[in-house]
Amino acid sequence: MPILQIEDVTKVYEGKVTHRALNQLTFEVEKGEFLAVMGPSGSGKSTLLNLISTIDRPTSGEIIFNDIKPQNLNSTELAFFRRRELGFVFQDFNLLPMLTVEENIVLPLTLDNQTVEVMEQRLASLAKKLDLTHFLQKRPNEISGGQAQRVAIARALIHEPSMILADEPTGNLDSNSSREVLELLSKINRERQATIIMVTHDPIAASFCDRVLFIKDGEFFNEIHRDDRRQTFFQRILNVLSLLGGGQVGDLSSIRLP
Amino acid sequence: MTFHQFAYRNVIRNIRIYAAFFMASFFSVFVFFIYSMLLFHPKIENGYLGNVPIFWMVIAEIILVVFSWFFIFYSMKAFLEARAKEFAILLHLGMDRQQLSRLVFLETMMIGAMSIILGILFGYSFSKFFFMIVREILLLDDLPLYFSFEPFLLTIAVYLSAFILVSLISVYFAPERRIIDLLYGPKTQEVSTLYTKRKAILGIVLIILGYVLSLLTTRTTMILFSICIPVLITVGTYFFFMDTIQYIVDRVKSRKNVYWKKSRMLSIAEQSITFKKNGKMFFVMAMVTTLAFLSIGLLATLSSYTSQYDKLNPLGLIYKGHIDNPLELRHISSLVAELEEQGLSYHLTRFTVLKQTSSFTNYEVEVFRESDINSLLFSYGYPMVRLSKGEGMFIPYSEESIKQLSNRTVHTVLLENKVPITIDQVYPEIIFPSSIISLNSIVISDEDFALLDRPYMGYPEEEPGYHLYTFDIPQWVEAADIGYKIQQVVAAESSKVEYSKEKYPLPYYFENAGLNYSFLLATYSLFTVVGLLVAAVFLLAAGSFIYFKIHTNLEVERKKFDVLRRMGISNKELKSLVTKHLMPQFFLPLGVALLHSLFAFFALQSILKNFANVSIAKEVVFSFLFLTIIELIYFMLIRWRYIAYVRE
Repeated sequence: MPILQIEDVTKVYEGKVTHRALNQLTFEVEKGEFLAVMGPSGSGKSTLLNLISTIDRPTSGEIIFNDIKPQNLNSTELAFFRRRELGFVFQDFNLLPMLTVEENIVLPLTLDNQTVEVMEQRLASLAKKLDLTHFLQKRPNEISGGQAQRVAIARALIHEPSMILADEPTGNLDSNSSREVLELLSKINRERQATIIMVTHDPIAASFCDRVLFIKDGEFFNEIHRDDRRQTFFQRILNVLSLLGGGQVGDLSSIRLP
Repeated sequence: MTFHQFAYRNVIRNIRIYAAFFMASFFSVFVFFIYSMLLFHPKIENGYLGNVPIFWMVIAEIILVVFSWFFIFYSMKAFLEARAKEFAILLHLGMDRQQLSRLVFLETMMIGAMSIILGILFGYSFSKFFFMIVREILLLDDLPLYFSFEPFLLTIAVYLSAFILVSLISVYFAPERRIIDLLYGPKTQEVSTLYTKRKAILGIVLIILGYVLSLLTTRTTMILFSICIPVLITVGTYFFFMDTIQYIVDRVKSRKNVYWKKSRMLSIAEQSITFKKNGKMFFVMAMVTTLAFLSIGLLATLSSYTSQYDKLNPLGLIYKGHIDNPLELRHISSLVAELEEQGLSYHLTRFTVLKQTSSFTNYEVEVFRESDINSLLFSYGYPMVRLSKGEGMFIPYSEESIKQLSNRTVHTVLLENKVPITIDQVYPEIIFPSSIISLNSIVISDEDFALLDRPYMGYPEEEPGYHLYTFDIPQWVEAADIGYKIQQVVAAESSKVEYSKEKYPLPYYFENAGLNYSFLLATYSLFTVVGLLVAAVFLLAAGSFIYFKIHTNLEVERKKFDVLRRMGISNKELKSLVTKHLMPQFFLPLGVALLHSLFAFFALQSILKNFANVSIAKEVVFSFLFLTIIELIYFMLIRWRYIAYVRE
């Protein structure tokens, strides 16, 4: 039973210049899957993420989320849908500077009007698991990038959403912090059976996933599944990427190599 | 494209960004110009326009200039900050600092020139309208529109130099920031919320102390307190905005049950930052708004006093003298002669008022004769008094006293002559102004009055009574210069008595209602013309400060709301979040200002009570309400734009 079905989704931006960002894209995401979406700049990755996160509506096609069709909800219902079903991790963390780390983490719960006991209980268990305990009282500008992203992940998890959407979560991190964050994400994926969709440029990041979906110019290009060894999976991702770049196999792709 | 063209296109194509700055400059030029038109009006004689000294208007104009310079400087700073990113791109492309300064200078001059030209144009076209209002206020015959170069030159000189100086200063003294910070915004937002608990408590204590003192103000302590209270309040308010609010917010934060509720967490955390960053501005705003409130409230008070003046002072001229006053005949005949000369009709009544001791209170009581009073009442056109033997009637000294005395019955004996009197009524109108008669004045019948042979017990140490001459003049306003010489002598002696607390030495006293009224009216007109200007500019500035502050932070706010929207806040919650975010910024300074001015008016009322019996509560409430509504409209407007912007 897929948790998310994308069916023939097309998104056209009208304006002075009409731009077709997505074109009849179709795929499914299973419950508990860790999916990476890759593609060159301008391929429609961010548009896709915006559509899934329901802050944008597709021009045609359907997105079905656990039998719910977000298109049919009004804006208030959508807000409630987002706050209960989705968790977000952003490239630049987007922690609110005036709140402390712990306040940032419990923010989704306060918005949902939960009791303080629930908040504290979940905060305590998450902080322990994600190793945040010693800087809970600090402000976002007093912690490192890797710590900030872990806080952001905690914020995305605290309301126990059915799906986590990550937009380049390692884009602003050094390689050590990146690895930590990715290992954390895959651990969460394994232990909590959390469904994660991650948009990324980074083949290393993608190699932590179960499946990698490639899109190009808004259309489905290819997908590959993970095998036993991450090393070969990484190599296969690179191969697809060089294909994606338009050149021959073996060429450097248009996107960044590690 | 030349450099000048670039600057020009920057302005023309970004007119929406520049609009706020332009409007602010435009409005202050507009107001300044209109007042300069008044300042150079050919109708001004010897430094007076009507009876308003121009000197005070010059002072007001100077305040306005200083304020509008500060205001332009502030808006400029906010404006440059909002455009930091744009400048960063230019610097990144290789523009040097010199060129950037020139760009800013050119742009500012373009907007400045535009606002000066339009401000003067609009100002000139509204001058006639303004003159009509001023004419009404100052009771002038006419105040024609005129054309002369002075107001134009003054306005252009003042504002051109303001724009030049401000644009140079704000660019040269802008802190040098790294391009990378400008381009991406500073990586981290400074959010330290330092405060000291001692100052926080001190702030509250000082304000409360100021309030208590203002409640205790009386006429004797007036001068000392009027220096003390503003200092206390100013310092207290400063600490209040810098420390007390932080302290309160921190206390709230430490209680998670209150703090971690819905969107409350966000708005509370935000307030502590908003107030830390802008505490000084809010302090200035609160003080400025207090000043505006005070000037408007004072205006309302004066206007109510002026309109009630006629009722409280029903007599045109009053001459009061000792029984043996040697100058009596000379003074009265000179007053009569002056009145005849001016051709003013009058009704003269002579009273002989005797002092007696009342057995009821054991104090002195001033006794009037029925036929004397009736003669005056006849000229007023009021109903006559009819008293039979043994009856008496209170003479009221204020509106309030009519109500108080109406239910009182007093059985008393005038001790010196053993005349029993029953006083059970009060005359329902004010006959004499309160400055003339004592609080204990009664009318008795002619029969009883004739029995009062023996003088007052205190005689000869104290006067046994007095003679009172009242002139009821229908056109009393025109009688302002009758008896001017007598008035001057009296005024000189009265002011001496006021300082030395000695007994009033002259055997006579004189009051001219018309003259007093003309002084009052002059003060009133001055306050109207000057106070309205100052209040308008202050209010405008206070509002604009918030606007610019919000405008500068808009980009950061937008990003924050974008995150929140993804996390799932509904439109309704977003609106309430915005409301909670903006509300304290608008209404906390306003509320503090309201409270400050409220206590200021308490003090004023208790001072006023001593020499003029006017209640100012109604006027003050009305003017406060009016200002609050203006502020509310402004708040709704800003909120509407703000929501539209962050939802984009």
